[in-house]
Amino acid sequence: MPTEKKEKIILDSVDFFYGTRQVLCDISATFYSHTLTAITGPSGQGKSTLLGLLNCMWKEIPDTRCSGDIQIFLGGQWISPFRKDISLSHLRRKVAMIFQEPNPLPMSIGKNMAFPLKLAGVRDKYLIEEKVRRALEQAFLWKEVKDRLEESALNLSGGQKQRLCIARALILEPEILLCDEPTSSLDSKAAGIIEELLVSLKENCTLLVVSHYLDQVRRIGDLVMTLENEGLTNFKEGLS
Amino acid sequence: MMRVFMEKMVEYLSWALALLLCLSVSVFLSYLLIKGLPSLGSELVFGKADPLSALLGRERVFDGIFPAIIGTLCLVVLSTLMALPLGICSGVYLSEYATPIMKKVVGGLFDVLAGIPSIVVGLYGFSVAIFLHHHFSDRLGPCLLISAISLGVLVLPYIVRSTQTSLEELPAHIRHTATALGATRLQNIAYVLIPNALSGISSGVILAIGRCAEDTAVILLTGVVATAGVPSSLLSQYEALPFYIFYISSQYTSPAELSNGYGACLVLLGICSVLFMVAHGMQKRLFHWALYRP
Repeated sequence: MPTEKKEKIILDSVDFFYGTRQVLCDISATFYSHTLTAITGPSGQGKSTLLGLLNCMWKEIPDTRCSGDIQIFLGGQWISPFRKDISLSHLRRKVAMIFQEPNPLPMSIGKNMAFPLKLAGVRDKYLIEEKVRRALEQAFLWKEVKDRLEESALNLSGGQKQRLCIARALILEPEILLCDEPTSSLDSKAAGIIEELLVSLKENCTLLVVSHYLDQVRRIGDLVMTLENEGLTNFKEGLS
Repeated sequence: MMRVFMEKMVEYLSWALALLLCLSVSVFLSYLLIKGLPSLGSELVFGKADPLSALLGRERVFDGIFPAIIGTLCLVVLSTLMALPLGICSGVYLSEYATPIMKKVVGGLFDVLAGIPSIVVGLYGFSVAIFLHHHFSDRLGPCLLISAISLGVLVLPYIVRSTQTSLEELPAHIRHTATALGATRLQNIAYVLIPNALSGISSGVILAIGRCAEDTAVILLTGVVATAGVPSSLLSQYEALPFYIFYISSQYTSPAELSNGYGACLVLLGICSVLFMVAHGMQKRLFHWALYRP
């Protein structure tokens, strides 16, 4: 646990519905800066949904609704994604997300890496090259791909693909990184590298990692939260 | 026992039907080749005119299919170019922006359009040509432009539906990746969704090209004639291969003329094959350019 805990995300009485089915009920929680919070619990309790609330990915899913309040400390001020204090694009650049399945786009490795910068309107070729290199180094991937940036990202191994996705998310220097079971589709060796990588990222950002594996949760989590079903959903600090 | 028999039966039946289809196509192509090959040659295309002079536009071809080849190519290119942007934009709207109700209404309208017989579209094109002739200029009437617009309308549903379907079938991880990286909806469509759906979209374009090249009913009413020479402008009448084939096979006076009709069929098949290959090659290059260029 960090010695000095600064609040980064505050959830206040959050409810979430897919159509008429309530998935999250009255969730209140606080997440701290430069801390890796592991979120665990049985399947179907809304762990991934909870992550999707923080960067508003839930808005991409039809027939969903959410109530309550979320406050995120971004760029030196508290903002609420629910109150449209910030554009969705900007929010998602600062609250990046890593999915369960590695999802490189069917493009070259270099283009995958430069893609978020292109979206953000960065055109300076040298700046892009520098940022790509730095992000790949940060994700322990530079040495493996530096000579094959023009190759398709789909040719990488599973672990490399996931590290590429993490590097791609890091290129915009997010303040929060949401990871939805980032090692579940990887073998133990690749998962170990990803775990090491996630722990190393705490210096620069706040991490929320959803995981099913209790041993992994214990290894990497500074704080562990369990999302479990007790009639409706209950949110606890510490392992149950 | 019965279940095993049924499994085997379905397998053999599928094989037999696939084989039958292949045989039918082979018999059909062989028949065309046997009937059409003897007439294939420069005389079929250029008649008595000198090929080089005809190609350079110095000599008019009266008794060959060269003007019909040029007319067909013009038709295909013009109508595809007209239908392509409209079809892709409509497909993107239906897939990405339309509400479920609008999807049903607009999608239903395109389905109705797809079901309209081509002769009806031709008649509509003809009516438009007559309207323009009466109200705007004597120079306007059934012509290459009206035919191209009518054919564009006819093939629009193919492009719309293929664009919509190929966008909707993209896996969620491709659909959500760019959004999670901060892409706006338009950026997601332009940079990720359309490039990744190109293969499906090009299938619709290839179908459209085939339809434009072969349809006779539409052009019959909107500007094609038996002898017009190479079209000099968008407002001129023109010749086209499907009409030539129809005309020669229904009015031939000698076996040689009928053989010319079969030769024209082979030329039309050849043109379609080349256009398909060009469309396929362009799709591959476009895909590579969109996703892999440095």
